[in-house]
Amino acid sequence: MARVTLTDVVKKFDEVVVIPELNLEIQDKEFVVLVGPSGCGKTTTLRMIAGLETATSGAIAIGDREVTNLRPGLRNCSMVFQNYALYPHMTVRDNIGYGMKVRGVDRAEIDRQITNAARILGLVEYLDRRPKQLSGGQRQRVAIGRAIVRDPDVFLFDEPLSNLDAKLRIEMRSEIKNLHRRLRNTVVYVTHDQVEAMTMADRVVVMHRGVIEQMADPITLYEQPSNAFVAAFIGAPSMNFLSAKVQAAGDGLAVVLADGTSLPIPAEHTDRYGPAKGRPVTLGLRPEHMAGGAAGPAVFTLTVRVIEPLGPHTLLIGELAGSRMTAQVDAHFPCEPDQTREITVDMSKMHLFDPEGGVWSWARSASRA
Amino acid sequence: MREPIKYVFIWPAFLVVLIVALFPLFYSLIVSFQSMRLVPPVPPRFVGLGNYADLLGQERFRSVVGTTSLIVFCSVTVQYVLGFAIALALHGKVAAERLFRVTFLLPMLMAPIAVAMVARMLFHSTVGPINEFFTLVGLPNLPFLTKASWALGAIITVEVWQWTPFVILMMLAGLQTLPSEVYEAADLENATPWQQFWGITFPMLLPISVAVIFIRVIESFKILDTVFVLTGGGPGISTETLTLFAYQEGFKKFNLGYTSALSFLFLIVIILFGVVYLAVLRPTLEKRS
Repeated sequence: MARVTLTDVVKKFDEVVVIPELNLEIQDKEFVVLVGPSGCGKTTTLRMIAGLETATSGAIAIGDREVTNLRPGLRNCSMVFQNYALYPHMTVRDNIGYGMKVRGVDRAEIDRQITNAARILGLVEYLDRRPKQLSGGQRQRVAIGRAIVRDPDVFLFDEPLSNLDAKLRIEMRSEIKNLHRRLRNTVVYVTHDQVEAMTMADRVVVMHRGVIEQMADPITLYEQPSNAFVAAFIGAPSMNFLSAKVQAAGDGLAVVLADGTSLPIPAEHTDRYGPAKGRPVTLGLRPEHMAGGAAGPAVFTLTVRVIEPLGPHTLLIGELAGSRMTAQVDAHFPCEPDQTREITVDMSKMHLFDPEGGVWSWARSASRA
Repeated sequence: MREPIKYVFIWPAFLVVLIVALFPLFYSLIVSFQSMRLVPPVPPRFVGLGNYADLLGQERFRSVVGTTSLIVFCSVTVQYVLGFAIALALHGKVAAERLFRVTFLLPMLMAPIAVAMVARMLFHSTVGPINEFFTLVGLPNLPFLTKASWALGAIITVEVWQWTPFVILMMLAGLQTLPSEVYEAADLENATPWQQFWGITFPMLLPISVAVIFIRVIESFKILDTVFVLTGGGPGISTETLTLFAYQEGFKKFNLGYTSALSFLFLIVIILFGVVYLAVLRPTLEKRS
């Protein structure tokens, strides 16, 4: 049983508070991804679990063991580092077997484990090579191999794919996910790449300035972000934010932008957003919830500045009501830079945020009520 | 000959090398096959390998080679072990680490002749502060510079004192290039500091160690000033080194042919050592590259 629990964990470097007070519970066999921008404290959190950093205060437990002040070697965690951290003077075989060797494991058992790990990771033919003679992906596999032979309570991954090219990153992503399905260990994975987080995690923890902004499964995180930060961080291309006001429009409500564009809120959502009536809000619209042309009740006119054809679809980047706006349209939607185009938006998927704190508190409490 | 202009740039440099380095070497090789004395002046006479045969047959030459090798082996071994240990200590988090770092490097910056002069005073049999201290605490005085074994020990001590900083400097530079993640990975594997040293630090610094030892061995073989000032090769010839022997032959007896032959034998010894040393270590080093 390898549940990981962080209780009131605070981390300071001298007087700088990196993690103000963190509470996090990771279930046994769960694949949790800590995601956030640089400096958000995700790697520090991971390193505290590993024991490579000591928590200034608070408690860390792995399973039923309190490990807060235990040295890294006694925590039974395996870590895969961003730069692989392979021993450059050792062969792949020795790299994978080093941990067992220092723990005094029997030579035959070491060989058996190395062969097994190499087979799982497709490294059999590279066992006698040195890290220098391997590609980035192969090196990363060796690092994973070194981690799995230990049969750890917890796997810790610190941005393991960030040094790989885009294609290899996608391959390794699914390999790690497969490996988790096969080994069923608890995994804590750190990344700054939200796509990586969304595609791999059972549960994503979005961090910002040492604070957990939201913890949820990927779909919940995407569909119900708890604040503007999470909404902006999750999703690619990023969500558009526009200053607006909620006003009555006929029988229902509409979001009115600074330039007077009125986007009606669908009837089924009027109850939910009723409390926002008359208040300034920040409207959040995802580019993928838009379509080129006027084909629905909520239509705005976009002044297009840049066109980014991506193949399956095209991004139109322009301005709306003084704010930057990205719209995702059909790949063959006719448009040139500096033209204006009508764009339809699916308002049932919109988000409204409190413009001051970006927190959706009033809307959330309204929806609960 | 696609770009003949390149030779215009290469030739001047080649000529400088030819004149400055190769000509004196070649000239001294010729002299080594001659009987040539400056005092009293004797016209050069070709003696073939006579000088070499004389030297190799001489008991003194063999003794000098033995003494030099002993000094080199002992001093370089201690320098390396001590230097590596101090570098490791300085690389770890120690209080006032910068102060120690600068202080440990100071001996290297002093002229060997000055170091030897100071050492000569320290080790002086009667007025040296070390023996004075021994007298003070009721211990017998020791013949630091007047008995062969003690004199050799004194020379090795001075060499170690002066050149350990070089090893510290090089090993510290090497240690600073080692990636910290590798040690974190080893920490997670629960490897003890001792296992980390033998399993990671030592093998990863082996290429630097090989270079440091090689440089120190070559340099130590050329030891002259320390011995010259400290013992003058005595008592008897018990601390006489190859270079001091060459100096005695060349500048006391002005026996240039003989000295040139000695220098070439010296060169051969060092080349042989270098070739054997690198040949032995090459397989290990190549595995790492």
